[in-house]
This record gives sequence, C-alpha cells and structure tokens, in this order.
Amino acid sequence: MESLLNEIAHCVEFGKIDLKSPYPPDMKGKEGAAELTKKALDEGIPAKDILEKGLIVGMAKIGIKFRANEVFVPQVLMSAKAMSTAMEHIKPLFITGAVKAKGTFIIGTVAGDLHDIGKNLVSMMIEGNGWNVVDLGVDVKPEKFLEAVKENPNSYVGLSALLTTTMVQMEKIVSLIKEDHPETKILIGGAPVNENFKNKIGADFYAPDPQGAVEYINAGAA
Amino acid sequence: MKGLKLIQRAINLQEVKRIPWVPFVGVHAAKLINKNASEFLKSEELIYKGVSEAITKYNPDGIPILFDLQLEAEVLGCELIWADENPPSVVSHPLQKGILLSDLRIPNKTDGRIGITLNAAKRIKNDHPDLAVYGLITGPFTLALHLLGTDIFMKMFMEPDEIRMILDFCTAVGKKMSEYYIEAGCDVIAVVDPMTSQIDPMNFNQFVSPYVSEIFTYIRSREKISSFFVCGNAEQNIEEMCKCKPDNISIDENIDLEFVKNITLKHKISFGGNIKLTVSLLLGNENDCQADALSCMDKGGLKGFILAPGCDIPMDTPVINLQAVSNLVFDEYQQQVIRTMDNADAEETEIDLTGHWKPDKLNIDIFTLDSSSCAPCKYMVEAVNKIIPEFGKVVEIKEFKIKELESIKMMRALKVKNIPSICIEGEVVFSSQIPPREKLITAVKEKLDQKFAKKING
Repeated sequence: MESLLNEIAHCVEFGKIDLKSPYPPDMKGKEGAAELTKKALDEGIPAKDILEKGLIVGMAKIGIKFRANEVFVPQVLMSAKAMSTAMEHIKPLFITGAVKAKGTFIIGTVAGDLHDIGKNLVSMMIEGNGWNVVDLGVDVKPEKFLEAVKENPNSYVGLSALLTTTMVQMEKIVSLIKEDHPETKILIGGAPVNENFKNKIGADFYAPDPQGAVEYINAGAA
Repeated sequence: MKGLKLIQRAINLQEVKRIPWVPFVGVHAAKLINKNASEFLKSEELIYKGVSEAITKYNPDGIPILFDLQLEAEVLGCELIWADENPPSVVSHPLQKGILLSDLRIPNKTDGRIGITLNAAKRIKNDHPDLAVYGLITGPFTLALHLLGTDIFMKMFMEPDEIRMILDFCTAVGKKMSEYYIEAGCDVIAVVDPMTSQIDPMNFNQFVSPYVSEIFTYIRSREKISSFFVCGNAEQNIEEMCKCKPDNISIDENIDLEFVKNITLKHKISFGGNIKLTVSLLLGNENDCQADALSCMDKGGLKGFILAPGCDIPMDTPVINLQAVSNLVFDEYQQQVIRTMDNADAEETEIDLTGHWKPDKLNIDIFTLDSSSCAPCKYMVEAVNKIIPEFGKVVEIKEFKIKELESIKMMRALKVKNIPSICIEGEVVFSSQIPPREKLITAVKEKLDQKFAKKING
C-alpha cells in the first residue's frame, strides 16, 4: 500500500497525469496519477489515505520546490492537472462522507485586476491540499467576497492583485469583511503587496508564495 | 555627453562620466498631461504630448514611445478591457476560441493602434534627434500567451510542436514590428517578454531563446540597438537571456543588480534597472527615490549600466519623485552627499552645540561637500568671504565639510537638507543656490539686528 501511495505522490510531484501523457519524458508510457489512484481504490486503500498520503504529499513537494525556485509555473500546472485528474476518482467519496475537506477557502483577484495566473496557482495548491475552494474568478467586487463569506461560514479568504493600482482594493475588501465577520482570516498575495502592506490594511497574512498560503491555513485548521 | 551617444557608449561597455537614465514612462505620461490611460493610448497627439512632457520634466537620455504589451495582441484579435490607470488587459485569446493560427496575419503598419504609435515615434524623434527613442515590441512568448492563454504552459509539455508554430508566428510579428519602429526612427528596440519570468531555464532555452535571438539578429542587421526587458523575477533565466545576444538586458526590481551585472558583463552585454516601482517611486518620497536610484547607480557602475525603473512606471507616481531621480543623475555632488549621509547613518549623530554659539558674534555656518573640490561649494564660501569686510569681527564664519562626521552631526542638528547651504545663527537661510551679494548682506544685517536687539532688550 505504501509503495502505491508513494508512486501516486511521485506522479503528482512530477506532473504525470495519466498513461497517455508524454510528460515527464522519463515517465512516458507509464501509468500516471489517474490510473494509480483508481488502482489504489480498487485495492481497498481508503480514499482518505490516497488523498493525505499520496496526492497531498505530491502537491506539498511541488509547492516547496516552487517556493525554492526549483520549478516554475508550467511544472506546477502539470502537477495540479495530475492531482485534479486523480481527484475525479476521489471526489464522489466526498459526498459519502468517506473523505472530508479541511475547510473552505474563498479566493479571487480583486476588482479592476484581470490577472489570474497567481490566483489559479494558489487555488490549485490549496485544493490539492484537501481544501474546498470557492474561486470567485478575476475582477471581483468587494461585495462579492462578502457574499461568499456569508455563504461559507468559517472560511478563509485569499485576495490576489498584480497591479499597483488595484492592490488598494484589498483594503476595502478587508474592512468590509472584517466589519461583519471580524473572525474571518484574510490572506493577501501578488507581486506588488508585502508584509507592510498587509499590516497597513489589517489583513491577517501575507503569502509570498502558494505554499505559504497552504501552510498558514493548514496550521489554522490543525 | 548625453542622450543616444551616452546610451551607445554604455551599450558598447565603454566607461561613461555620467550614468545614462531611461525612465520607462508608460501610462504615467498620460498623467503628465491630465489624461487617463485609455484615451492616451488611443491618440497619436496625446502620446506625442505626454512623452514630450516626460522628456521636458525628466531630462532622460532615452525614452520609450509606448509601454503597452497589448498593442500587437489587439490587432491579432485579442479582446481588451480598458482601464483609466493601467494599460489595457487581454481578456480573450483567439486561438482558444477556435480561430486557427493560419487565419492570423502579420499586422500592417496601419493596423489598430500601430499607426498612431509609429507617427508619435516619428514626431518625438524629429523633435529630439539626439535622444535614444525606444520602440517596444511584445516578446514572442508573451504574445503567444496572449493568443493562446495560459494553456501555453501545459502545451509546452503536451504539444510542443503546436507551441513552436505559434512562436514562429509571434517571432515574425516581432521582426515586423521592429522594422516598423526602426523605419519610424527608433534607435533602440526593446523586446519585452515578461511572461518568460514564469518558466525555467530549460523551457526558456526551448521556447524563448531561438525566437528572441532571431529578433535580436534582425535588429543587429539594421544596425540598431536591442534590449531585452523582462519585468518579473527572471533571475533563473538571466544567463539564458544573455545567450540570446541582445545588446542590453533590463531587469525587474526583484533581481539583485549585482547578480545581473556579474552575468551580463561576463557575456559582454550591458544591463539596466532597477529602481523599485512601488516602494520607492509610487509610495516613497524624493529621498527614498534618490537613495534607491543611487544604490542602483553604485551597484551598476560606470561601465555598461543604464539607470531605469524595474518596469513601466506606475501612472500615479509623483512627478517630484522622478524629478528627484533625474536631478540626482545629473548632480554628482548630491550623489556624494547622499553617500556620505548614508555612511553616517550607522554612527551616533548627536552633537553638543554648547560653545558653538557666541554671545558677541553672529555665526555663519557654511555646509559644503568640500569647497576645495566642489565648485558650487567653493562659490558659496567665496560669496560669504567677500562680505566679511562689511561686518568685520562681529561675524564668525565656519565651513562644515560633510566628508567629516562632525560636520554631518552639525548638519543634522541644524536640519540642513542640501549642499551647499548657509546657516545664519543656526537657521538655514540659503540653500543650493549661491545668493547674490546684496541678498546675503541684507540677510546678515537682519540677523545681526535680531540678535543684538534681543540682547539689548533682554
């Protein structure tokens, strides 16, 4: 069982989606995360274990490599694709209660900003760590974030911005959410923001990379 | 030496007396003429006026005509959303919507906003023949991403041949755009390819190097200067960027300039950068901007370095911040003052002023870099010395050379901000400019009257 879970983690880490995927070249013609996950379920390995000891382990490894500049956006996207393809087999078990999400994470790129690469990376990494993600998309108005918080009590909120002109939106969103839901933890990220800006606007956490966001919310959920 | 000649000297890695300065004025030029970004980017007249205003205000050696990486994408069928304070954003990708690569055509010089941009470039070059005018083109990888969306990242692994065909097309577009800008009179063609910061050196080598190299070869064949701009942290790819053989590499604020200097100079390529866009230019004050610019200049050095912001300047950047940088570039004395002050920062700067003031004399303190080596300082000291006969021994004159720590302490105590300055009885009366004799005499008389009237009354 352990070796199969390790193989699944390896597939996710190196972005091996399925048998027909030519990537990575050294795994060409081999089974990928999709087939191995199905095999593990067929062998009776609990879905919770496949998720926690296989898929999430692979995503955490790629997240750490991304933070260390050992891999870049394309590799993370391949890992996320391997993860999400494998998850197709696991997701039905969420409904039965065999697998539970760690919590809910709401994410969006703030109003006026249409950049989604960073937001999507964070979204994928967090989903890949066993969280339910509510992705509000790009150009999201403050009221929409508030609405999502109301609909998903006890959720975390992630705000993304790439532009110096849109990062100021974050302050509005933080104060709007905190006014009614002071307990809601709000994370910010994106090229122009930093720790000082986080302090200035009263957000709870500045994540310099996706793994930082994962670690912060995992610590809160523990 | 100034402008294009100075830039050429830096590009040729010859030592310069003054570091060239190229503010990447993008939509900030719109702010200078009180227009918003979208009206600015759509009008030849406004681009011309805005960039002209930037030249007047910031006294640059080189300037970009337009910093808008959506120009080619728009012509090729990407839909844009316009903003008041930023260049537009691409919101749809034709190759993702079912349009075939074979349906796309290389833009003509009158398509979309290309015509107005080229006309603005011609007018700017005509007005400023000695200035290095930069024409910016969208790099092949970034243009391919506009056409295909972020699918490009995974397709590099899954369908590399398709990506190569798209990149071939984008390279042809880049060469054509370079040709248009060169014909319009541009001296430097900057290939701006920010999305390459998101990939690793191996993918860069496969999906960026061959394509941009072709564009740089073309620019070289037209005997113009090429520059490779990568906004975004492309630290991992600097070495690969050099191998593409541009004449210059300009980098983002996230990358250490010394790191870049070491690599680029090893490849005999000039480099530029990287004043911080938000922390310094947008949100900082004049002192922050000068300190940041000086730090870049000191790291960059006099060989092969061009001072520039890390990427295009945010629209709302205060004009005084950029003027402060411009003034610093041209004022060697101010550079020395900031360096000296910085060095003194770590030291104890309190000073005991007891004994400095004399009950029967008027203190005239002159703050200089050193009157023996700094011309304005020399004239300031001379101006004061020349009026001594008017007052005799009642005035006591002292020069504080800020090369010495004691002088810096004194400067701080008296809140002197500029060099050279004259303080009379501890108050800054003349700063930077040498006062005319009569003005100086009047000021001294006033202070004498105040001091001794106070004494008599007291």
